[in-house]
Amino acid sequence: MRIVFCGVGAIGSTASVLCRNLDATLAFIDFDRVESKNLLAQAYVKPSVGKNKAEALKLQLLNLHGVKAEAFGVRLTRDNVEALCSGADLLVDCFDNRESRQVLSDYARRASKPLVHGALAGDGSFGLVRWDERFFPDAEDQAGQATCEGGAHLPLIGLLGGSLARIIQDFVKHGVRRDVMVNLTSVTPTMDT
Amino acid sequence: MTTLNITYDGMSADMPVELDGNVSDADVRRIAVEVVRSGGVPGMHLAHLRDDAFQSFVVDRFRGPRGDERIYLRPKVPFGA
Repeated sequence: MRIVFCGVGAIGSTASVLCRNLDATLAFIDFDRVESKNLLAQAYVKPSVGKNKAEALKLQLLNLHGVKAEAFGVRLTRDNVEALCSGADLLVDCFDNRESRQVLSDYARRASKPLVHGALAGDGSFGLVRWDERFFPDAEDQAGQATCEGGAHLPLIGLLGGSLARIIQDFVKHGVRRDVMVNLTSVTPTMDT
Repeated sequence: MTTLNITYDGMSADMPVELDGNVSDADVRRIAVEVVRSGGVPGMHLAHLRDDAFQSFVVDRFRGPRGDERIYLRPKVPFGA
């Protein structure tokens, strides 16, 4: 089993760490670098600051947990999506923008790859996990809208990352595809296939 | 009978609604403002909710496992990182 996490910021890095119990190779795609402010809401540690996020997460999982991991420190585009994702048994979208989500979704539908999305509201009050057949990427209200970079939203990020990890595990072990909505008072199942 | 789920300000609740025919997204937003103001949504009674409170919200429509219609009114979720 090879699981490819696309975007390993807050949701992607948190969910990845919670998938370390799976008998799977975890692969990470992200062009971005770890900044000190990311330590507040993402699963990175101080020695990772300055490193590429995909590479840093690979090293953490490999060195601290003994998990098989791979890193691709590039931006996912229509030109490289096939090369990066064709070996995946499961794709996990945790990108922070509609364009990249759409590239991945188009590829997954074309190649019949299972794809699950984790997504968060800008104010940190709400998130959802939804399988691609029921997902449409949302745009920001305005370009450059503030994201969940500070530590204020960490509890919700933890809940959403944990819910995404659970849904990945349910798919890997039982083949079911569950959707949930997450807020600070509840995790609500919405669909099941 | 349709189930309308409204997520607002960290709260989320279901309520059954009778809808006549095809209801537009704008109608769903307008209905939601009225039912939240009136206290018809469990745990979500906001008498002074603004008219445009759900203006930027997304309306998702799904069929449940028994063919029942479910409508979700929720904030946009553009972020993952």
